[in-house]
Amino acid sequence: MMRRLAVWLLTKRLSPEWRDFVLGDLEEEFAARRAAPSSSAAAAHAWFWWQTIRCLAAPPPARQLLVPLERLPGDSRMRTLLADIRYSLRVMVRAPSFALSVVGVLALGIGGNAAIFSIVNAVLLRPLPIEEPERIVRVFHTPPQDAFPGMPTFALSPANFYDWQRAATSFEGMALFRSRQFTLTGTGAARSTVAGAIGAGFFDIVRARPAMGRVFRADEDTPGGKHVVILSDAFWKRELGGAADVIGRTLNLDGEAYTVVGVMPPAASIEAWPIMARDMWVPLALDDEARTVRENHNQQGVARLKRDVDLARAQSELDVIAKRLEREFPKENAGWGARIIPLQDVIVGDVRTPLLMLLGAVGLVLLIVCANVGNLLFTRALGRRKEIAIRSALGAGRGRVFQQLLVEALVLAGAGGTLGLLLAQLTLGAAATLLTDQVPRAGEISIDARVLLFVAGVSMLTGMLAGALPAIRAGRSDLTDALKEGGRSDGAVGIRTRRLLIVCEVALSLVLLMGAGVMLRSLQALRNDNAGFDLDNLLTMSVTLSESRYATPAQRTAFFDRTLQRLRALPGVEAAATIDNLPFQGGSVQPIVREGHAELLPRDQPTVQVREITPGYLRAMRIPLLRGRDVADGDEEVLLVSREAAKLLWGTDDPIGSRVTLPLVSRTMFRQVIGIVGDVKQGDLREAPAATVYRYTRERSWRDAMIVLRTAVPPGSLAVPAVAAIHAIDPEQPVDDVRTMVNVRDEQLTSPRFSALLLGIFAAVALLLASVGIYSVLSYIVRGRRREIGIRTALGARTTDVVRLVIREGMSPALIGIGAGAVGALAAGRLLERLVFGVSASDPLTLGAVAATLVVVALMASLVPAYRASRVDPLQALRAE
Amino acid sequence: MWFKTQAPALGDFEQLVLLGVLRLDPGAYGAAIRQEIHARSGRDVSINAVYTTLDRLENKGFLKSWVGEPTPQRGGRRRKFYGLRPAGVAALRQAYHAFTAMADGLQGRLETK
Repeated sequence: MMRRLAVWLLTKRLSPEWRDFVLGDLEEEFAARRAAPSSSAAAAHAWFWWQTIRCLAAPPPARQLLVPLERLPGDSRMRTLLADIRYSLRVMVRAPSFALSVVGVLALGIGGNAAIFSIVNAVLLRPLPIEEPERIVRVFHTPPQDAFPGMPTFALSPANFYDWQRAATSFEGMALFRSRQFTLTGTGAARSTVAGAIGAGFFDIVRARPAMGRVFRADEDTPGGKHVVILSDAFWKRELGGAADVIGRTLNLDGEAYTVVGVMPPAASIEAWPIMARDMWVPLALDDEARTVRENHNQQGVARLKRDVDLARAQSELDVIAKRLEREFPKENAGWGARIIPLQDVIVGDVRTPLLMLLGAVGLVLLIVCANVGNLLFTRALGRRKEIAIRSALGAGRGRVFQQLLVEALVLAGAGGTLGLLLAQLTLGAAATLLTDQVPRAGEISIDARVLLFVAGVSMLTGMLAGALPAIRAGRSDLTDALKEGGRSDGAVGIRTRRLLIVCEVALSLVLLMGAGVMLRSLQALRNDNAGFDLDNLLTMSVTLSESRYATPAQRTAFFDRTLQRLRALPGVEAAATIDNLPFQGGSVQPIVREGHAELLPRDQPTVQVREITPGYLRAMRIPLLRGRDVADGDEEVLLVSREAAKLLWGTDDPIGSRVTLPLVSRTMFRQVIGIVGDVKQGDLREAPAATVYRYTRERSWRDAMIVLRTAVPPGSLAVPAVAAIHAIDPEQPVDDVRTMVNVRDEQLTSPRFSALLLGIFAAVALLLASVGIYSVLSYIVRGRRREIGIRTALGARTTDVVRLVIREGMSPALIGIGAGAVGALAAGRLLERLVFGVSASDPLTLGAVAATLVVVALMASLVPAYRASRVDPLQALRAE
Repeated sequence: MWFKTQAPALGDFEQLVLLGVLRLDPGAYGAAIRQEIHARSGRDVSINAVYTTLDRLENKGFLKSWVGEPTPQRGGRRRKFYGLRPAGVAALRQAYHAFTAMADGLQGRLETK
């Protein structure tokens, strides 16, 4: 090992013509010394190292190669490149303000790209921190599309899952999991904690090995199994002080003792995947009855593909099995299929499109930066025409001049890239908390080798793009002309090129502005969209009763009755009620059957959102009662149906008074419809309100509920009194997620808000850069055409004529740019269409507003140069010649 | 050249190396020369010093070299063999003559007892 290091060192140090001979000699003598009976292996090694050190200190000299004379002093690529870099640095130092502004603009563009790419890299490109993550898939049902329109995947029914598990050969392992809420007591104040409830084999599938203790045994995943728990590293350290003797201790969960059998290492916790981000895990332990449930879909599944099986093959195997189960159990399974999706896609699926869109947008900003810097470099190259002409006169070829200017641009881009990287690092650091709510895997965002490589590549590309045009044009400039003119600048040079740059900048800005405008309007549409109830002045909180202390429905009902009574008595509270799932948060979707109608196969049976409420819910939410009556305390088993549900199930018939069953709850229990209420958005804000039925059952079986309070005062001010009121009834009862309804809604808006915010920033930067570009080009033109303007004035042109001349000069490329940008924006609109709501991505109104903004900005940017032109004194301008 | 009628004088170590080559002829290469010098003179010189000197002597025209075949005990590496050119022999001879001439009659005082 050590000898290999020595050999490696020598290989590096020795020149090629000696390497073989010296190393060979050393190896040979080493072998002889090792074989010699008088010498030990250690001595031989020591000798070898001693020789190595002596050789490293003074290796035999490299032979002086005889090279053809002409190659020695001439323009070897490397040598001129180094000279060019040195020269560029000198030029930068000589004109620091120019260099600073160019580097600053570049840093802005490259920094933005680096920041967004860092996010893309961490979220989309970097594999999940699991062993062979590409083989881990989430397992889903696909629901019948007629009954569940628009739902691509669905939770699993346990019986189907176990059948898949028995029949499928594509997987190394398959396991169920779900979340389970517990009340944790005995470590400080009572509070609720969400544990992962996992089926047998789960930890093997995700390859999580405990740092201490063991994973669950198969017999513990049964209802008769002991109460055992495995802790996360964070929980163990935070709550138990990292006690070394934790294995065998007990935790009090829902009033029952759970024995700690293992502690997971920190690496096992995966922030981006909720089930692996839990504080603790317990066995899922479904009982025999639950295992045979086929028509209820309420479990999550995960599996690990075998090494030699790809996704498509596993999917087709599951398809076959699901088809067979459909035939065997048509009553439960008709229309239900199976689907596997790579875990990473499930975790980052929602943000892929917006993130790639943002990467594209920030790329456009970079193009504008390129145009801007190109313009600056061009101006500068023209200012140096004399220098370049002299170089050419002294024999520098066009290629040589091109190379030098390009190297200058690249050096600037390199500096800009370095600064941009710094900028990105600072921005990401400052935005870390903001990002946590916006994208999954936010904690993993960092600048790694891939980001560095990306920034290096982008910097090079930027330098080439920005530097190529000026370099080509400068190399082409006429020698005698440049020398004859001396130092005088001339506005007639390269105007066409500059106009083209303005056109590009304006066009790209328009595309970005359009994107930002559409996103903003979409966000506004989402926010103003009628959710079907009054969001303001609503406070919500979540309560989950512990299984052991509130074992019977009567106890649960009593608790909530007393709680609501107390809450209603609080000053400022107008109404209080409970529901199992708040609007926007989804919930139970079930088939529903009218009395006297046969229950159809699941493929054909209509489904509705089913919510469990208490009297007063409509009043608290201000959901309009359209017909019939509200539920009241005296009712036993009644239903309210939403307008959409009434239309779906009864069509033109009158639902009120008719009776229905919810087969998943009970096929024998008929519930009477007593009223029709307004539609409410139960799920995604972007989707139309779903058909919903609200059931009220006097004896509640659910342990958990969301409490909603309609307040007359700002809802936040009631958070503390409300929790205190609940604790007055049961001090051990945790109350979680105390939020206003507006907060609940805004949580749905994080992704569009994030996109709109970033697009807005990019568009603002683009607008700024475009206006600076127009301004600087016009200023340059006015300066160059002073003489012409002077002559015009002397010949009687009025101030307005001069101003019009300059403004036309600025506006014509801007208008062409707006035209081109509009075409681009409409093309880009097709990509955006999936991300916007309530507005078309090619919305003409937005397009008009954006175009108008650009016209105004271009006009403003032209005004100062125009004013300067109007102040040109003809006498001075002509005398200057 | 009128001022350079004889071969340039050899340094002390150059003499040892040339003598080594002569002794081992025709199988003289770095490691063998190094061991020969070590065994006979007791000087534990480094291999790089030997090669540096061999290279210098070759540039002076005293030595010629050729490359042998790779052998397994050298890890598949080749040997570089050296042999004396006439100029090398002449230079060695001259040094030898100078030495023996100067040492003549002093054997009694120079040789250890």
